[in-house]
Amino acid sequence: MDEATSPARKGNLTGSARKLKDNAADWHNLILKWERLSDEGSTIATKIVNFRLSKESVKDPEVIMEGNSLSGAPAEKSAYESNPELEEECIKLQNVVERMAHILSKMEKMVSAERGICKLEAFQYGEKGRPTPLFQTWSTQQFVEVSSKLYEVYKQELALKRTILREVAHTANPDLCMVYLSCWLHQPYIQDNTKILLESLLMETGHKAV
Amino acid sequence: MSQPAVLKLHQELRKCFQNIKENQTVWRGVLDECSSLVSSLGNLAEQLRALKRTEIEKTPLGTFPNLPELLQYKLLNAIDTVLNQLREKVNAFGSVRDSVIKHVCAVFKMYEQNSDSLPISTCVARCALSPSISDMLEWLQDTERYYRIQYMQRKNLLQILKPDDLTLLESAPKRWLSLASPDGEERISDALCQVSFFLESD
Repeated sequence: MDEATSPARKGNLTGSARKLKDNAADWHNLILKWERLSDEGSTIATKIVNFRLSKESVKDPEVIMEGNSLSGAPAEKSAYESNPELEEECIKLQNVVERMAHILSKMEKMVSAERGICKLEAFQYGEKGRPTPLFQTWSTQQFVEVSSKLYEVYKQELALKRTILREVAHTANPDLCMVYLSCWLHQPYIQDNTKILLESLLMETGHKAV
Repeated sequence: MSQPAVLKLHQELRKCFQNIKENQTVWRGVLDECSSLVSSLGNLAEQLRALKRTEIEKTPLGTFPNLPELLQYKLLNAIDTVLNQLREKVNAFGSVRDSVIKHVCAVFKMYEQNSDSLPISTCVARCALSPSISDMLEWLQDTERYYRIQYMQRKNLLQILKPDDLTLLESAPKRWLSLASPDGEERISDALCQVSFFLESD
């Protein structure tokens, strides 16, 4: 029961508290990495779109001017002509997405580890979990909830980025290209509440001063 | 010809031109910072326009829940942020304008107070090292007017820009560029060049 008496204020954490605090730091670091990758990808995606559009405009300016036919993947000949430069950028973008997927898998592992901690506590202390919080106020269950929410957000973002990766080099519609770029850049599923969740996680675990 | 009055006025003129020199650098710096902000404003407006023109549900993005709304929210937020940053910059223009007006006013006040001892012949006299007092006063007025008008025009443009008026936002970079007055800028630089020996001959 020693560790239940607010171990956050002690120098060395052990057991569940240690794990949760490390996870919180990992969330912070992984999200930073994610942002860096997203920026990197954004530059590449912009190149791909510029490349596609400039090629389109040379070949057939009408396509640019019209911009109303909204087919997802217009099967135009030019889109499938092999082009080493375009291909190279696409591969780079693919690498970025793969690295993001790797980050997401780490996030998933953290969620499942925290679920495990919850189960362990249920085993140790019964259904209600530990009597006093490990840090400031959060129950262990709340850590799981926050992690799951963060994970869901990034999972959705990764799915979006995968779709963009798949489509961006095959779209002749400039508006749609722009929407792809803007989705990549602005990450619509990461809203302010995501940042607040992360901040509160860092505060609860003492990484940031309350 | 009263030497002390001329010396005093010269001193005040030096101070004023020195101030304009510094403010010109500040103004240019702020203007540079603005140009990237204004172009990102235009770019965000373009993104918003593309989003409005695209029927997301008919695209491969159609399966993503609430995507258009969430993206629009993010874009509007970004536009808001840029507009706020621009407002700060325009306030910085305001400070330059205020500082220039203050110094120019001080020179004219001194001139008026001492005008009795500054006859026309003195005011129009010039030498190799120093332009005439009347020329310098004219340049000061031109400079003051330039900053006044520039500030007003840029502030006006910023005031009419609203996140929900896409057409206006899209035209913002062009409008902003059209406010540039290279002639006015050049006149200030010319004036500063003409007074460079005068400033050194302290």
